Parts: sequence; C-alpha cells; structure tokens
Amino acid sequence: MIVFGLLGAIFVGYLAWLAWAALAYPIPLSYNLRSLWQRKVATISTAGAIALVVGIFVVVLSLAQGLSKAFVSSGRADQAIVMRSNAQFELNSSIDRGQVRILKVHPLLAKDEIGPLVSAEVVVIKIFQKSDGADTNVTVRGLDPTGIRMRSQVKLVQGRWFRPGLSEVVVPRKMQQRFTGMELGRNLKMGGRDWEVVGVFGGGGSSFDSEIWSDVVDIQQAYKRESFSSVLARLGAPERFNAFKESVEEDKRLKLDTVSEKAYFTELTKSGDPIRILGNLITLILTVGAIFAAMNTMYASVSGRTKEIGTLRAIGFRRREILASFQWESILLCGMGGVIGAFLALFANGIQTGTTSFQTFSDVTFAFTITPVLMLEGVAFSLVMGLLGGFFPAWRASRIPLAEAMKG
Amino acid sequence: MNGDAIIKLRDIAKSYWRETLEIPVLQGIDFDIPQGGYYALMGPSGSGKTTLLNLIAGIDRPTRGSLEVCGYELNDFDDDELAAWRNAHVGFIFQNYNLIPVLTAFENVELPLLLTPMSRRARRARVEEVLSLVNLEDRMLNYPRQLSGGQEQRVAIARAIVGNPDLLVADEPTGALDHQNAEEILNLMERLNTDLGKTILVVTHDPKAAHHARFQIHLDKGVFDKTVEVNR
Repeated sequence: MIVFGLLGAIFVGYLAWLAWAALAYPIPLSYNLRSLWQRKVATISTAGAIALVVGIFVVVLSLAQGLSKAFVSSGRADQAIVMRSNAQFELNSSIDRGQVRILKVHPLLAKDEIGPLVSAEVVVIKIFQKSDGADTNVTVRGLDPTGIRMRSQVKLVQGRWFRPGLSEVVVPRKMQQRFTGMELGRNLKMGGRDWEVVGVFGGGGSSFDSEIWSDVVDIQQAYKRESFSSVLARLGAPERFNAFKESVEEDKRLKLDTVSEKAYFTELTKSGDPIRILGNLITLILTVGAIFAAMNTMYASVSGRTKEIGTLRAIGFRRREILASFQWESILLCGMGGVIGAFLALFANGIQTGTTSFQTFSDVTFAFTITPVLMLEGVAFSLVMGLLGGFFPAWRASRIPLAEAMKG
Repeated sequence: MNGDAIIKLRDIAKSYWRETLEIPVLQGIDFDIPQGGYYALMGPSGSGKTTLLNLIAGIDRPTRGSLEVCGYELNDFDDDELAAWRNAHVGFIFQNYNLIPVLTAFENVELPLLLTPMSRRARRARVEEVLSLVNLEDRMLNYPRQLSGGQEQRVAIARAIVGNPDLLVADEPTGALDHQNAEEILNLMERLNTDLGKTILVVTHDPKAAHHARFQIHLDKGVFDKTVEVNR
C-alpha cells in the first residue's frame, strides 16, 4: 500500500513538473511538433497504433456505458418493485393474487386521475431468433394499462397498445432491428398461441427496449400462471420508499421484499461486468503493445537526433529541459493518436447491439454510447501511454554525455 | 587584445578509461589566452585538439588541473551551472554547422536567447541584427535544408554570437566548405575578432584557416608543443 502510495505521489509529482515545464522551459513545443512531422512515417504509424487502441478503449467503455444507460434509465427513485422474499430478480419471484390485492390498496401509493399507480406484472422468458440466425432469450412482460402509464419513457411509435383477451403484443422498435418476424401485423408464437404484433414502442434507451409487452392476464393464461412476478408501485416521492418498504416487509400477510426500482436496475447493470472485464483485458494487452510502439519510435528519434541534443546542451539547455522536451514530444505523439482514436470511436456511436444478462438470462438491447466524457477519457488514456512510453527514451536523451552527443 | 587572460590552463590532463586501462589524451597543458585573442589550435590527428577545445568550452571536464575561463573556475561548476555558463559566455561554431533542421534560420539563432530573460520583441530585434551582420537578413525564414553550406555556417555563426559571448570556439569551421565559402567564413570570423573584440579559439588542421588567427598553439600527442605568432 505504501509502495503504491509512493509511486502515485511520484507520478503525480512528475505530471505536475511536466505541466510546469511546458510553461517555464524554453524549448518550444513547435520544435517537437515539427520533429514529429519530419519523421512522418514513424509518427503516423505510431499515432495510428495509438488511435486504434484508444478507439477500442472508448468503444469498450461505451458498451458498458450503453448497457448501464439502458438499466439506469429504466428505474425511477419514487417507484418500488415488490417481489417474493429473497428473490433477487422478477424472473425468480412469485406473488399470489391475495398479496396483490393487499398491495393495490396500500395507503402510500400515489394516484393519478384514473386510480392508484400500481401494476401487478408477470415476466416470462421466450426464445426468439435474431437476425443473424442465433437464438436468444427475450423477456416477455405481462402488464396492464397502469403499468404502461407508470413507464413514462416508453412511447408508442407505431400501431396501438395491446387489448386484453386478444393475444396481442407490442414490441420495441430497437428489437425489430435485431430480430426477425417482429414487424407490425406479424404473429409471434408464444405459450402455444399466436400473438399478433399490434404496436411498436420506443423505450427511450431503457431496458424496456429489450422486452415484449402484452396483457398480464393473457400471459398468465398462456403460460398457465396463477401468480404474478412482481408489483410495481409508485409512491409519489422517493422519501416514502422506506416507510413503504417497512410496512410491506412487516405485514404478516405479505412477507415480501421491496426494492426501489432505481436500485433494482442499477443491480442489473452488473450484467455488463463480463463485457467490461473482457474489454479491459483486450485493451490492456493492446495498451502494452502501443506503449512499446511509442517507446520504440521515441528511442529511434532520440538516437537519430543525438547531435541535435548535443547542440542544445552545448548552447546551454540543461538535462531536465531535454527530458521535458522529449517527454512532451512523446505525449504529443500519443495525444494525436488519442484524439484520432476518440473521433474514430464516434463511428460506433448509436449502433444497436445486445448481450445476454447473467441476472435475467435474457437479451438486453442497448446502443454504443460515445459521450464527450468517454472521448476525453480516451485522450487522457493516450496521454498516459505517451508519458509511460516516452519516459525512458526522454531520460536517455537527457543523460547522453555531452561530449559524446556532440560527436553524433 | 587587452592582455588580460580570458583562458588560463594549469596542468590540464584528460584521460579516458577503457575498463581499467587509462588512456591519456592530454597531459600537463599550461597556457593562457588573452582577452580578444584569435588563436588556432593545431596538431596532427589524435593530438587532443578537440578534447582541449571541449574542456575550454565546458563541454567536458578535465581529469586533473585548473581551468579558468572567462573569470570562472570551471571545475567548481555542477552540470546545470556549467550549462548556464556556456550559454552566457561561449559561442559554438561546428564543422557541420549543427543547426536544428526543423527550425528556421531565425529560430536557430534565437535558441540561445530563449534561455535568457529577454522579451520576445528584444529577442527578435537581436536576432535580426546578427542575421544582418552575417548578411542573411533575407533568409531568416528559411530552413537549413534551403540554405547552402556557407549560408548554414553563417547562421551557425549568428547563433554563436547572438548572446554576445566573450569566447567563440570553433571546431574545423571550414572543414565542410569549398574554398570560396571557407574564405568568406574565415573573413567573417576575423571581423568578429577585430570589430567586435571576440576572443576566438579555433581547432583546425587547415593551414589557410590557421593563418587567419594571430597565434597558433601546437599540440603533439596530447602535450603542449609551442605557440607561434602568425606573420602576415
């Protein structure tokens, strides 16, 4: 721990010194920029390698970001999900009709002009074929009109909402792009019945973009379910959550668990962990390669400019000025690659993809989301690569004995 | 020449080491060079001319002996102090000009001034002044590759004098030039000595170049041989 602390302090101190050196030291950065330009082939190929790594780095981060956005935007802090005791997810929860009846008249529920905002829902998994031919699990949610009203991010974009008793479904627009046979008017086979697609909705980037919705009773009948999976309850204000949770958990007739909808979906973001870990591993391997590429380029640059270094030293520039100059050159080199890579990653922005959540065992549709913050992180990452890759060549440049450097 | 010694060497020795084997390059060098002098260091290859020049210019350090240049004992300086001293007191002229290829003539000449507290405007004025002194005021935005060898060496001379140093050291300054350009450079150096009073120490094995100096110091096998006054 102490060693890491010391290393961290040295790193931060070195960064601060470099920042100061850029302002206080007299070797102009234009010298470094032009030197990079003079070695175009080496500069472009190294910057290209850095751009590739940064591009992948940003895209990997954007995957996790997209997935996180899908889940986090699904939940509201003033809504609670009630599930069976110890059930972590809706899929392995079960609530009977009696419990639902009690919950639907809970005094802490918020109301709108139609009535209390509470929705008893059932969730099942059905295998569907994706456009690439692979099969995947899809969440099918049975709910009533109140459940739709409680998800304000969900908007109907085509057709109409399903009607009870008619075996109708609505599908997300984003899912239509990734699955076959989900066009308006087509029939889906589920629970031994044909279900007509009567509407298309947009989930606003939430995880509902990965669910097929239908009437709760129709789904219960088709899948021969007596019980519900969960009850969604709006409480009017986030502060009411603790009181609601306490009353539900202490009610001997219920004995159910309550989580805030936001916390529930935040927990689901962990389904992005395997992607994140794999992505980070790939990025790490590429990063090591890119650092060595930068180091190699800078070593070649130093050895090709020994006489220049000697001349600068003879004129009166000190070792530390040479060190800072070459370190900045490496940072500029990698920074250029970083900026290019961050912008290249923009090509992935908005592309729809999906993964199987290890929590719900079903497909989650989400989009690569390249944000300015992610791009800046990518550029910062490239600067760190420049710092690490350039340190040893810059150190070497500053330590060449002057008389030896003069000989070239 | 005003007679005060700007360079005082006392029992200077320099050796290099190859593992445990000492290879002496200079031994027991003693001489003074007065302020405003124009001296040529001469001798056969391997006689230690360049090594001695490097010691006097603060580029290398002696193994033994006292080395007082421009009023400072160089042995007392650490690396940073020596760098600052070089910037303030010594101008360098190299055989291959040693211009920075990615900088223009103006920027090359400006380099030593970047280490001084001069304002940008004052630097510009000074650089333009010395470039016109070497007749290159119209080439200041050219890069070294856009200049002839003679012009490059004149830029290098401008860079050497821009900081108004007391001492100019030159290592084979005409070694890479044709006869006409070499003569121009030697004349220019002579003018710097006579008109601006610069002390010049030039390493050369070219008798014509040495003839422009007032005195010739001869080294042989790392030992001081003799000082000869040049008859004109």
